[in-house]
This record gives sequence, structure tokens and C-alpha cells, in this order.
Amino acid sequence: MKGNWWTTVGWRHLVAVVAVVFSLVPIVFVISSAFNPLGTLSSTSLLPSHGFSLSNLVNLFEQTNFGRWYLNTLVIATVAATVSIFISALAAYAFSRFRFAGRRISLLSLLLIQMFPQFLAIVAIFLIFTQVGEYWPQLGFNTWSGLILVYLGGALGVSTWLMKGFFDTIPRELDESATMDGASHNQIFFRIILPLVTPILAICGLLAFIGMVNEYIIASVFLTGSSDKTLAVGLAGMVAANTREAQFGMFCAGTLLTAVPTVGVFMFLQRYIVHGLVGGAVKG
Amino acid sequence: MTDSGTRTGISGQLVKILVLGVVAALAIWAATPLVGAENWVGLGVVVVVTALIFYVYLSPRRLPAKYLLPGTLLLIAFQLIPVFYTASTSITNYGDGHRGDKDDAIAMIQAAAVKEVPGADRYLLSAAWEGENSDDGRLVFLLTQPQDEAYYVGDEEGLATLDPSTLTVDADGRIVAAEGYTVMSRGEFNANSDAITAFAVPVDDGGIRSIGFDAYQGISTRTYDGSCDCITDTETGDVFVADNDNGYFIADNGSRLRQGWQVNVGFDNFTRVFTDPDVRGPFISVFVWNMMFALGSVLFTFALGLTCAMAMNHDRIRGKTLYRILMVLPYAMPSFAMLLVWRDMFNPDYGLLNQLLGMELNWFGETWSSRAAVLLVNTWLGYPYMFLICTGALQALPKDTLEAARLDGASPLQSFRSITLPLLLVALTPLLISSFAFNFNNFNAIQLTSAGHPFSDAAGQVGDTDLLITYTFRLAFAGSGVDYGYAAAVSMFIFTIVAVISGISFARTRKQEEIYR
Amino acid sequence: MRMRSAGIAVGTALALGLTACGGDTGPATTDESIDFDGTLVIWTDEERADSLQAVVEEFATANNIEIEVNGIAQDLQDAFVTASEQGEGPDILVQAHDWIGNLVQNGTIDPVPLTEEQQSAINSDALRAVTYDGQIYGTPYAMENLALIRNTELAPDEPATIEDMVATGQDLKAAGDVEDVLSIEVSADGNPYNAYPFYASGGGYLFGMDESGTYDPSDLGLDQPEAVEAFEKLAWLGEEEAMKTSMGAEQAIPMFAEGKTAFLVAGPWAMNQINTAGIDYEISPIPAFDGGEKATPFVGTQTFFVASKGKNKAFAQEFVTDFITGTDLATKLYESDPRPPANIEAAAAAGASDPNMEKFLAAGEGGYILPAIPEMQAVWEPFGRAQAAVISGDDVETAVEAAAKAINDAING
Repeated sequence: MKGNWWTTVGWRHLVAVVAVVFSLVPIVFVISSAFNPLGTLSSTSLLPSHGFSLSNLVNLFEQTNFGRWYLNTLVIATVAATVSIFISALAAYAFSRFRFAGRRISLLSLLLIQMFPQFLAIVAIFLIFTQVGEYWPQLGFNTWSGLILVYLGGALGVSTWLMKGFFDTIPRELDESATMDGASHNQIFFRIILPLVTPILAICGLLAFIGMVNEYIIASVFLTGSSDKTLAVGLAGMVAANTREAQFGMFCAGTLLTAVPTVGVFMFLQRYIVHGLVGGAVKG
Repeated sequence: MTDSGTRTGISGQLVKILVLGVVAALAIWAATPLVGAENWVGLGVVVVVTALIFYVYLSPRRLPAKYLLPGTLLLIAFQLIPVFYTASTSITNYGDGHRGDKDDAIAMIQAAAVKEVPGADRYLLSAAWEGENSDDGRLVFLLTQPQDEAYYVGDEEGLATLDPSTLTVDADGRIVAAEGYTVMSRGEFNANSDAITAFAVPVDDGGIRSIGFDAYQGISTRTYDGSCDCITDTETGDVFVADNDNGYFIADNGSRLRQGWQVNVGFDNFTRVFTDPDVRGPFISVFVWNMMFALGSVLFTFALGLTCAMAMNHDRIRGKTLYRILMVLPYAMPSFAMLLVWRDMFNPDYGLLNQLLGMELNWFGETWSSRAAVLLVNTWLGYPYMFLICTGALQALPKDTLEAARLDGASPLQSFRSITLPLLLVALTPLLISSFAFNFNNFNAIQLTSAGHPFSDAAGQVGDTDLLITYTFRLAFAGSGVDYGYAAAVSMFIFTIVAVISGISFARTRKQEEIYR
Repeated sequence: MRMRSAGIAVGTALALGLTACGGDTGPATTDESIDFDGTLVIWTDEERADSLQAVVEEFATANNIEIEVNGIAQDLQDAFVTASEQGEGPDILVQAHDWIGNLVQNGTIDPVPLTEEQQSAINSDALRAVTYDGQIYGTPYAMENLALIRNTELAPDEPATIEDMVATGQDLKAAGDVEDVLSIEVSADGNPYNAYPFYASGGGYLFGMDESGTYDPSDLGLDQPEAVEAFEKLAWLGEEEAMKTSMGAEQAIPMFAEGKTAFLVAGPWAMNQINTAGIDYEISPIPAFDGGEKATPFVGTQTFFVASKGKNKAFAQEFVTDFITGTDLATKLYESDPRPPANIEAAAAAGASDPNMEKFLAAGEGGYILPAIPEMQAVWEPFGRAQAAVISGDDVETAVEAAAKAINDAING
């Protein structure tokens, strides 16, 4: 029985433990710094050796606008990620279910656009939003809506591909029988396909969310007010202002806290990822 | 295909009407300021886009377009335009010293050359409109020379004294009201900054100009003359003639004015990419490592991510949720912050890794240890991504096929190799390609960790862990200012390489795509 | 004009595209329609934003306007130039003076004609630093330069020469009192700013000066044989483990603050950390090599600039020329962010209450004004690379030659 346990479950634990240790080494170091009362890199070892203190966390909230940054990040990333996967799912459905002129080339283009080195994007964004802000200040610089729009520009991309691949695996017979029953294409999409692909929606949503939480280059020129910043911009500021080494503990505490919403979203989405409805529904 | 018009339910129709109503309302909202500003091009675009949306969603056909339009419009606005902008920059000299147009450059050169006449008086300045209760008369300067308590009015013609009895002055002597003039408040003054800073009251030696709410006598030492298209420096006598091919003013003695302008340089930047010995020389070796880095990153992250996803893809694992969270954690941390933490951990004298392992290895000092280190870090950063998408893709595998294989007596390893992996690759190949492309240009992963180290010779420009993008950008940023035109040409060049590789790989996915059909 | 219409197209497309997918634009945080009673916007780096905001309120009240100080997290210089280009930039920029060359060649800052009286109130080195092409381009408010800070418990005596300092550091290290000979930020890419005083003491220089007192990019010190001798000195410091490429910003100041090193080469920005740590210290000029030249550090200033394309130029000019030049204000700036004031009277006042300030100023006396010419950008990386190479034991002559070639190539296009 022991051999059997090993081949079915045991090796899985081994893989998991190895991966988790690999994942955790730098993270334990970050945690250890975050709670190190001295708060410097040179006094931090892998495991806490100078005692435990919350002073870095306290400083983070007292010396910076961390609470506001947190709120900004959550709102921007949640809205942008949600809208983005919806747009992406629409497109993935079209790519998976319809055959139209330019389909392959469009798919390839989506892939290629992502590869273009976008170092001048900032200049272009300035050009665009100077105009936008002039006519529609509600969407200009220093607005959440403007930044969200920029992020939505990347809605079609890798996640479209991922979803399209997933949609492809849903048998066409399902659509066809629904069509026979008098369902329109949008009913098929909203009532049949979307519920079947919740795991991939959840994963794409998570990936989009993480991407937007971590984005700091565009956000840093877009949101300049000190209370308008996002978490990543605030952290990047600590590095840029050469205060990282002085406030290494604060920096680590901030890094750690930035991961919290992501982990929260992941835990929330877990059940959709794990208990995907695919198997049952396809069989039914 | 389905005909939407006839079969969509009542609620569907209502939603459609509602959405289109909102589109119409937004179009009007968007158009109003454009009409106000008489921006007809902008208005035309609003009209065309609105019409397109109505056309697509009201037509019973155009099914794919109904689903693709929203994403495509956003894609064009915020991805394609920046791409085209970058591409169009590659045939210009856009960069530090060449950012604006020629008129801008001339204006800046003249403004920067206004020098205060030594020993001349300073004045307290009030700007005013000519005429009582006026806000559109001629702009004049009302000046107070505080030492002599003398008051003047200055216009385009020159300076004239004012009778103090017609004036109201504040404690400093600044004129706050004057008969025959409407004195601006500070707010109004500021609102008219453009006109006021451009204004100069001509006097014998130069002109009286504003500086804040004061005025000084300044003389322009550099003036542009359209007839010779040149700028003359009155102090040195140098004549700087416009070089319209290169976008700067240059004198006979070879010295040139700093403020230049943006010009079209044709394919010069591309020629430079191909002929510059600094690019050509190390190109092959950098390219080979760049490929190894991109392929290695994809391979390691995918292998580890898939292994973890397979391991977790089972109903009876205790602590599965916890495992999964811990595996996703590296991806949840801000990547630039963690790259810096890794760099600190690799420090040969003070780093955590050497302390833990009891080694004295200079990680970024040797070619192979440096390469191994950046790959290790990149694997750490990227494997949770692969883990997540593999987890998703595993959910989509047809369960009955797997079941059938199991009943046929295939071992888990056999069924993985012959069924699971091929099916997964169908869904994931495009993502692997995109991951390859991302890592091919993964600037941060190198710049924030090894920064290209080790460098083979003392002042060598190229390091053994440099990617094409880190290396060429160093070249573009190394001069006296950033050369965006050149950097754009370089990125077009790199993009072409990546696109060709990716396009070829993509072409091979066509057959796989049809597997479910 | 080409991009102008494209920009509008985009705006429209996005406004409509958004509707099509039913997105919510979310609340706008601010509505910045700047008119005459709008907001005067100041950009600076993150570090300074908060301390400035408190000081500028006085001007805001006096003129009945709002002032907003924004700390830009990423690439302030690039963000400022790019934003200015589009008229989206601030009215005032607060930054180190060595950006002047690049800001001027991009037409983003205006000269500020200070009166003779105002000029005479400012430290002459600081005034020289902000003078570029014969024009004053900003109002300097603080000065910064390197000094030697030593832990008086570990090293009670001021070292007379660099050799003395190294010997003391090595003795302490051998005795196990400290972990390293000297705290100085080098990092794998080298650090020319910190290496410069040692290079200068070894006999090297960066750029020569022309008659008008402007740095001359065609006269590069690295081309001279003295540069090789100076780099030999750096190589020696590497041999003695006084300079190590493994010591970066993460180590240098914190290790000194923790008592793990007896000497630190750093500027006034280190004082917060050191004071917090509560060690006994003394500040002195960086000593010279035995028989060498004076170890002159770079002298830099923090400066207020008027943005050429700001929307509130009258207030911005008034702020920079009139308000910020006053001694009272200089004192307040110093109190909110203790760096040696560029205002002479404020510096004297600060010196009375805080002797550190005078010691830093003394350490910077006769220093080498950090060049503001754009060509300086071509120097940093090759110089640093050569420094890192020689202290790791590479051949000095090759390193210097290669650096000089790289710099000349970059300057001459």
C-alpha cells in the first residue's frame, strides 16, 4: 500500500514541498526584514535575529500615504481586471467559434503586438492624454478612469489566447444543440459558454489583476499626486529616491503587503479554479 | 450562422437598445467640447466610430465584429498608436536636444539669451489694460522704480513717466490703480503670463521685461534672422546657420547651439544599427545568449509550473490550498522589488546566498554563474504564471480521453506523455511563444539583477548576461542625452527578429488548432 | 500636428470603446482645470515632497493660490521633459543642478535673472553651479558634497591621509572591532560620484574649463597620463579592501550606522540614519593621499527651476526669484530638510545650532562643481566601469584607455 500511496499522493507532496521551499527562500527573507526592528538590509538574516517588531509596518502607514495607495490600487486593478477579462472573453469567443477573413492574421497580430518593445509608450501616452485631458478632463491625467482605459488597451492579448484555447475544447455540439433549441449567439455565449469556462476566467482575471497591481511605469507618470499613487508606484519611489536602503524594512513591509490583495483574490477565485464546471457539464 | 435579429429574446433586445443609447449619449458628450473647440478632425473621428458601433451592432450580420469591436478599439487606441509612434520615431533624430520643432528651438534659444543689462534699474511691475474698466485694451506695464519713487508706463513704443497724482500705490510703491488704465490683479496677471512674459518695453539698451511681478532691463544677445535662416550672437559675433538636415544651428567654427529640433533623418538610424561596430561586433554572441535566456526561461518555468500543476491536480491532497497559495506567492510580489531583493541576496560579501551556502562565489562576476543566477531568478519569478495557466489548462482536458487511457492500462507516465502533454501543448503553445517573446526582451530581469555583468574587458560595453535590449539601450542612452530615434530603430530591429521567430512557431500551430474539430 | 489629430482620434475611440463594453470610468480623483486662481504645481522627487509642501504654504496664503507638491517616483527628469513637451508639466521643478544642461537643451527651463543683491546672498559655489552658458537657471537652496564621517568611539583621531585612514580601518578590522575598512558605496558598476575625491587626490580631473568658466567637453581628464596614476590609487584602495564592488548603497551607510565600519564617505543625506542610530561621530574633509592633491569632492546644489512651459509662469517666477531667495525661507527649508543652505546667512544661522552643517560646507570648500553639461551623462558609466575594474584587480592602463575611448565616442556621436 505504501508504494501505491507514493505514486498517487506522496510524490505530489514532495513536488509541492520542494516548490514551496524554492518560492519561500527570498520571501522569508523579505518577511524577516519587514519585522526586523533595525530595518536595514545589513542587519537582516534569513530568519529574524534582532527580535520582532511592527515598527516598519507602523512607519509605512505613518510616513507614507500607504492606506490611500492601497485603496487606489484595489479599485483600479479590480475594475480594470474585470472589464478586461470580459472584453477578452468576447474576443476569444469570436476567435474560437467564428471563421472569418483575417482571423489567423488577427490572432498572430495580437501575439506580435505584445512583443514590441514599448519603451516610448510613455511619450505616446503623454501625446494621447494631453489631447484627451484637454477635451474630456474626466479622462485626463491624474484620473483613475484614464489609467484604467490605458490598461484596458491591453485587454486583447495573452489572455485572449488563453481563453480561446479553452473555448476550443468545449464541444461545438453544445452550441449546435442550443441553436436548435432557438438560442441566439449571445445567449449561447452568456448562458452556456461563460459558465463552462469559469476556471480560465478566474485565472485570467487573477493574472490581469496581478499585472495591474505590479504595473508602475505608466502609473507613475499618470498619477502624480501624493495621495493618488498606486502601491507599486509608491514602492518604486522608495527605490528611486534612494531611501530603499535606509528604509529597507519599510520597503519589505510594503512589498509584503502588496502581495496581500493578490493572495486574497487568489483565495477567492480558488473555488472557481479548482471546481471548474467543465467536466460535469460537458458530460451532461 | 445564427441570425441574431430574429432569435434574441426581449431582454436581449432591451439590453442592446440600452447599450446603444449609452453609446449615443457618450458620443454626444464626447462631441460637445470638440464642437466648441471647432476641432473638426476629432469630431469626424467621433462620428465615424459611433457610426461604426451602430452599424456593427444593428446589423444582423457582422457577428465576429460584435465580439471583437470593444477590445479592438481599445487596442488601437492604447497599444497600436504607441507602437506606430515608436516606429515613426525611428526615422527621426528625436531625443534630448531634438524634441520640439524648429520654431520652439528658435524661441527657446532667444529666450535663453536675454541677459540683464548690468547696473540697470529694477522695477515693481503691475500689468494693466489701457482704458478704464477694460479687459481687452492694449497690454501695458506700469512700473515703479522704488528708490527714486519714479513711475512709468511702458508699451510697445517705449517708456513714459506717469504723474504720481493719478496713481494709487501700495506700501511697497507698487501701482494698484491708475487713471486711464485697468490694473490686473495677481491672478489676472498670472492668467496672462504668456502675453506678459513675451512683452518687452523697448528702451535704449534692450527692453524692459517681466520676471515674476517685477521687471528688469534685459537685452537679447541672440536673434534669429529668417532671411539667412541663422542666429547671430551679438556678444561674440558668431553666426549660427540652421542645418535643417540635422536639426541644429551651427557656426563656422563647428560649435553648435544646444537647443535643436526634431527632423526626419530617413534610414540613418537603421544604417547605424547595421554599421556601428559596437553593435555589429558583439551581436552574434549576445544574440546566442539572448536565445538561451529566453528559451531557458520558458523551459524552466514551464517545466516547474507544469510539474506543480500536475502534482496539485488531484482531489485528495491535504493542504492543497496552502500549497497553491505559497506557489503563487512569488508572482504576487511586485517583481521589480523582488528582483532587487534577489540581487542583494547574490551579493558576494554580504549576500544571503553565500552566507547560507558557505560559499564565496562572486555570482555576477563569472560568466556561467551569472547566467545561472539570472535564469534561477527568472524561473522563480515566472513559474507561478506557468503553474496557473497549466492548472487552468488541465481543467479543460477531456476527462473521458484520460479515463479511456487509464482503462487501457496506460501508466500515469505514459498517459502523461502520450495524451496530457500533447493536449496541453495545443492550448498552451501560443502562450509559450508569447512567454518566449516576453523574456527575449525582459529588460528588468537583467537590468535589476546582473545589469549585464560580468563585463569581459575593463570598459567593455557588452556584458556576458546582456540581452540585445539591455545592451543596445545602453548604447542609445550613453551619449550626451537620450537618443530615442536610435533606440526606436534598435527596437524595430529586435522586434523583427522576435516576430519572425514567433511567426514561424505560430504557423506550426495551425494543425494543432484543428485537433478538437 | 500629426500626432495631435491622432491623439483626438484615440480619445474618441476610447470614450466609445468603453461604452461598448459597459465599463465604469470610476471617480476622477482631481479635476485640474488650471486657470488663474488654480494650482501652482511643483514637481520634485519623492524624498523631498513632504518637507517642501509645508514650506510653500506661506507663498500660497500670501498670494491666495493653491500649491501642490508632487513627488515623482520614476525618472523625474524624463517625466518632466516629456510632460513639459506636451504642456502637461509642472510650473516649478526642484532638483539637483547637474540636470541643467539637459533641461536647457530640451528647452524646458527658463533663466531666472536674480538681482545682484539676491546673487550676493547665495554661496558663490552654488551660484556657479546653477550658471550655465552665462545665465543663471535656477535658485539653489541647498548644497551637498561628500565628507568623511568617522565613528569617534572606534577612531578617535582624524586621519591625516587616506593611507592613515586605511591603516586604522585595517587595524580595527584585524582586531575584530569592525567588519570592513571603509564604508563607501561602490557597487558592481562603480560609483564615480564617490570615487571622484580619491581620483582628484590622485591627480586626475574630469573636464577642463574654458575662459568663461564653463566645462569644456573636448578637454577630457581621462585622456591625460595623470588619470592612469589616479586610477592606480583607486586600484590600491581596492587591493587594501577599502573599496569593494560588493559594497552598494544597501551596505555603506547602514553598516556605518550599525558600528560595523569606522569610516564613512557620504553626504548630508546620511545624517538622518546616523543620528537615528545614535553613535558618536565627527565630520571632516576627506583626507588626501600622502603627498597627493587635495581630495576635492563634487559640489552639487538642490535648485528651484522655472518650467518654460508652465501654465502659471508669473507665480512660478515670483516664487523662484523672490520668495525662495529670502533668508527666512532658506532657514525654514533647512529646518524641514537639514542640508547645508546655499543662502549664506541661513547657513551661518544653521551652523550656530548645528555644527555638522559647517563641517559639511568646509568639506566641500574648493570642491569640483558637478558638471551640468550634457556630456557629463556620457562619463558616468564608463568611469564607473573602469573604477570597478581596477579595484577588482584589472589592468589600470587598459581600463582608463577603454573608458576614455567610450566617453569620447559617446560625446562625439
